Amino acid sequence: MVNVEEIRGYAAGLLEKGEVKSVLGFRRGSASAFAEPCTLIEASDAASLVWDPTCLNNLALYLVKDRKQQAVSKTPDTRPVGIVAKGCDSRAIGVLLQENYFKREDVVVIGVSCEGTGVVDPRKLSAKLKGRTASRVTFDGADGINVSVYGDGTETVIPAREVLADRCLECRAATPTLNDVVFGETVEARGYNEPFHAAKEAEKVSEDERWANWEHHFDRCLRCFACRAVCPMCYCPECVVDSTTFVVTLGTSAEEKANRIRWCERSANTSESAVYHLTRAIHLAGRCIDCGECERVCPVNIPLRLLNTKLEKEAFEMFEYQAGHDIEQASLLSSFRDEDPNSFIR
Amino acid sequence: MEKILSQEKLREWVDALDDCEVYAPAFADSVWNFARVKAGADIDLSHTNTIGSVKEFAFPQREVFFCFEKKDGVPVLTPTLPDPKPTVVFGVRPCDGRGMPRNDTVFNKEFEDPYYWARRNKLTLVGLACNQPHSPNCFCQSVGGSPHAEEGLDILMTDLGDRFHVKGVTAKGVEAMERGRDAFDAVSDADQAEVEKVHATSRSHSQRPLGNLDAIAEAIRESFDSPLWADMAQHCIGCGICTFLCPTCHCFDINDEVINPTTGEGERVRTWDNCQFPDFTMHTSGHNPRGDLGSRLRQRVSHKFLYFVENHKTQQCTGCGRCITECPVGIDIIAVLERVGQS
Repeated sequence: MVNVEEIRGYAAGLLEKGEVKSVLGFRRGSASAFAEPCTLIEASDAASLVWDPTCLNNLALYLVKDRKQQAVSKTPDTRPVGIVAKGCDSRAIGVLLQENYFKREDVVVIGVSCEGTGVVDPRKLSAKLKGRTASRVTFDGADGINVSVYGDGTETVIPAREVLADRCLECRAATPTLNDVVFGETVEARGYNEPFHAAKEAEKVSEDERWANWEHHFDRCLRCFACRAVCPMCYCPECVVDSTTFVVTLGTSAEEKANRIRWCERSANTSESAVYHLTRAIHLAGRCIDCGECERVCPVNIPLRLLNTKLEKEAFEMFEYQAGHDIEQASLLSSFRDEDPNSFIR
Repeated sequence: MEKILSQEKLREWVDALDDCEVYAPAFADSVWNFARVKAGADIDLSHTNTIGSVKEFAFPQREVFFCFEKKDGVPVLTPTLPDPKPTVVFGVRPCDGRGMPRNDTVFNKEFEDPYYWARRNKLTLVGLACNQPHSPNCFCQSVGGSPHAEEGLDILMTDLGDRFHVKGVTAKGVEAMERGRDAFDAVSDADQAEVEKVHATSRSHSQRPLGNLDAIAEAIRESFDSPLWADMAQHCIGCGICTFLCPTCHCFDINDEVINPTTGEGERVRTWDNCQFPDFTMHTSGHNPRGDLGSRLRQRVSHKFLYFVENHKTQQCTGCGRCITECPVGIDIIAVLERVGQS
């Protein structure tokens, strides 16, 4: 079992010694039974850190935010940042390092092993409770998730595999491979499901049915862009789907602005939302590390992870490539090996 | 008009509204949302609250203002004022109901928006009182509402277990009840007593308090330059969940969408916009007066609890709690107001 006191002590130590300017972690919030992200500045704040299967967020997003803030600051604070990272989160940091978004010495990775458990999927929990809210969610230490239902206070135990996130069921590396320290035991993932299980299941359906299914989902998309906003890999300062598809500066001419290309209209309809989601998926091919954040944050529960794991599966099957597993490796899209398949080039 | 409707006869009433488009909450894709009801038997009012608010029936995410094309080199505009069938929405929670008069004000006060009103005038809202809060983030009573508030609703239904108490609040509501008159029974003294008891119990459930709303408005006014905003928005990801799901957020963008560049055929379209997006306030110069997430959080909160109060004498928040529950990083408007109030 992970002893949260050890994580707190380590984080406090980093801050006390001034080795980092801040530590990104999880704390209990006022909004829900799930933990919320926090940024610790003082060592004394470390007591608020928590660690359990409600620590859903991939905090690597905030490393990206910090980098962006540094880029526009006249007096950037370039000291390293500490970050609590699960196995999947550490792979996100790996990809950002491969892409030279920041340097290895800019980050202190406080790895935490999921110990073969993982995190709860709020969408699956909502399905179990038919939309009712959980006021407390805890792991029973074995194979069950204890849930207190808000309102009548009902306590239920749900088998973990029924409410754990799909990515956790298919987890290939529950222990952060990229780390400066790891808390918790290095155990193999439980292997509830084989890797890419959900993607393989989805592929069994006929193409027509698959398209009908995605049309249904794209049609429901609100284009709130939460999936993009939460993704640590979606760090572009300009995005093809925005109304302003390039960075406007004081030097941008009126002509450039007038002639900007709109690749995607703002209308949240099937075609425009399909353009948005498919473009995003393609831009994440070989980069997505399967943290599942896009799917978690979707307010209307579009199964976005499927799009990304499908491409992750292609990258794995065609190039034996797993994003973020090895930071010494060149990234998929910037490397070529003689043995790479080239049958698609005609 | 007050009536009693048995659970079994609900479908009868819904079927009597056969010349209307009827919507009700449905649990699909693991979330409650409004969906078209094809037959009364499909209706299920066991919902918590819908993910989308009822505003979208009058203010859809996409509204075409007019079509344009070039005919013989001359631009021709064709108006496209919507002409929907009468629409009845069941299962509207009182927080969403109270949102609608606030939206009505926005789309009526200085300019009567014909697109909004073409839909709004055809809309009948059938509310369902909340016998208990659905989530710890419900706070209708802290913003002047109640779990059985009638404001904005045409009909208020109250679940009494095996039957509903149904109250026609507006003439439009009474008319919708008249259409299904055979389904209803008279209200007995015992029914009346029970409704009052259920309503009183619903108000007794604890909700998160906000304190004095005038003091909050004042505190916001004084905190415009406070570093608190940046601190509270530290983990904000800048998505549009809070505002798109809000029953009273009404900001929009207008764009021309070209369908055929050769003929110049296209549509002028209004779509929802969102003060949390960076391009919302982007000037053509490239300057952005709300360039950071702190100033955008401040705008969202100030609009609801200060500017709207100054302009329209009421808060632009009805306590549905969606922005809290659905925020991916736990930004909590009640906690925000508490911190601003204490500063």
